[in-house]
Amino acid sequence: MSNGGTALTPPGLRLAFATPGVVVLLLFFALPLSVIIIEAASEGGSAFGRLFEDPVFWKGLRGTLVLGTTAPLVSVAVGMVVAMHISRLSQAARTGLLFVISLPLTFSGLIVAYGFILVFGRAGFVTLSLAEFGADPAIVGGLIYSPAGLGIAYIYYLIPRVVLVVLPVLINFDEAQIDAARSLGASAPRAYFDVLLPQIYPSLLAAFCLTSAVAIGAYGTALALVGTQVNILPLMLYSKISETGSDFPAAAALSVVLMGICCMVISLAEIATRHTRPSMTTRSAK
Amino acid sequence: MPILFEAVSFAYPGTQTGVRAIDLAVGDGELVALIGPSGSGKSTCLKLLAGFYRPDHGRINVDGHDVDTLSPERRRLGIVFQHYALFPHMSTRDNVAYPLKVRGVTRAERRRAADEMLDRVGLSDLGDRAPKTLSGGQQQRVALARALVFKPRALLLDEPLSALDAGLRVAMRDEIRRVQREAGIATIHVTHDQEEALSIADRVAIMSDGAIVQIGKPDEVYDRPRTRFVARFVGQANFWPGMVGEENQVETPIGRLRHTQEGVRPGDKVLVLVRPERLDLFFEDHKTPPPNYFKGHVTQDRFLGSIRRFDFAVAGNLIRVETRNRAAPSAVAIPPDAVRLLPPDDNENKKGELS
Repeated sequence: MSNGGTALTPPGLRLAFATPGVVVLLLFFALPLSVIIIEAASEGGSAFGRLFEDPVFWKGLRGTLVLGTTAPLVSVAVGMVVAMHISRLSQAARTGLLFVISLPLTFSGLIVAYGFILVFGRAGFVTLSLAEFGADPAIVGGLIYSPAGLGIAYIYYLIPRVVLVVLPVLINFDEAQIDAARSLGASAPRAYFDVLLPQIYPSLLAAFCLTSAVAIGAYGTALALVGTQVNILPLMLYSKISETGSDFPAAAALSVVLMGICCMVISLAEIATRHTRPSMTTRSAK
Repeated sequence: MPILFEAVSFAYPGTQTGVRAIDLAVGDGELVALIGPSGSGKSTCLKLLAGFYRPDHGRINVDGHDVDTLSPERRRLGIVFQHYALFPHMSTRDNVAYPLKVRGVTRAERRRAADEMLDRVGLSDLGDRAPKTLSGGQQQRVALARALVFKPRALLLDEPLSALDAGLRVAMRDEIRRVQREAGIATIHVTHDQEEALSIADRVAIMSDGAIVQIGKPDEVYDRPRTRFVARFVGQANFWPGMVGEENQVETPIGRLRHTQEGVRPGDKVLVLVRPERLDLFFEDHKTPPPNYFKGHVTQDRFLGSIRRFDFAVAGNLIRVETRNRAAPSAVAIPPDAVRLLPPDDNENKKGELS
């Protein structure tokens, strides 16, 4: 250790700097997590049994997986197009647009839900405007409270995440490759498919996994928009804790399942991006 | 005619920059170099021909077909890009085979054709390597092989050597010329390096401000440039303002010079051009001095290895001279046939200039 730290960071000082972070991590992450796992495993793990026998759980799992794949898929498609556009702009325009695009990330899910209700709800601005043209407000206004509407609200704040993940890769991409492919005989779509896609797909996959994990775990927007009517796991968990409040071990088991799904999806993203990372660093080092 | 530009004009949207009234014909197997400073429109010509832009006016013909309505992929032109634009996720062989792949050639056939092409550029052993692992010169060859493998109607080279270091550039110049000759393909080579252009092109077109100011064989544009701009762009030059006198004489700030140029009349204002390597040097006083003989002394002396470039002071003016000779001369003479008379500059009436 004698030659490990420089004069500026002796081991003792380094420990002092690390302590607050470690304490927070232990107190607010490791501890609750352990409690949940212990709670779920209490009674010999019978909580899992009860959970898996509950048809509501399986419906919730299905809903969660559908929402956790469709919303990210749409977000990745839209986000990639947006990122492609931004990557071709000047530095100034890019900075400005990125600021606007990142804004939804700072909003809480409740604000997003409230905003959607004001605009697309039964008495929403868009709903009433469309009613002028003969669209039934009951149908238009109902959309936002349906699972599809929930998906749309999710997409709204998943797209910025996709843009932020994909944009650096697109900025590094040499557009002359597309020109080259076209001059060599590839149509524009074929050039993008053959040349761009293979080079950016790891980051697309990473963006998908990241947004998928967010969509699977989020509940604020869902709760505000659809209450507990739509069957998704986070809302099921919410109702187990808040309403009935009787079966804490089952709630803990559900939490463990949710965390397991999210961890799997995130590690998928890690595996997908691991190959690309070294080449990205060499490129940016140029 | 494989490549034909007819009165082609183009301006980038919302700007005045682009190209104006370009007429250019490139014959079978001919290599035409487009040179000019950056922003002179040479790359724009290439992009118009490639189909990445459409002309505002005029027409572009390839092999007798009007290509202006064709998208880039349907023009069948082989392009080598400045930084090669190789596909990093494909092997060298797959890069070369790509044009055949999009044309639906069978896997076995395109592998055979790609290997044959790699062999022609001297890379037969590197087919399985990733482009990133190749040297700059090797990547250059891969790009050339990829641009030729589908037997394009013409070859377009966009500053293909600018990313290489000096020594390799000279070697690759010959390589490009060799491969181009073998393929017998009409070629446009864009570069800002005049030496590169003069050394490999059949004809050189000099561009300035979006227009071709002169086109001709390399020795033609070097020896008989039409303007100061051309003279200066293709090599070193002495310039003096002049007034044509009687009997093949021209008055200049360094004195009266004899010339051999036809078609000028006494009283014409001209710009006198003398290439620095055309001067004769004298190390002792000459009893019967030749025409255009000047005594003086060396001021600035620059050793460039194979040659020396020095400034020779005469009568308050400087003559720039290039020579292999390492001794300092006491006098120089300008052979009359080395004196070129160009149209006078409109806006630059300086008293003389070295360039």
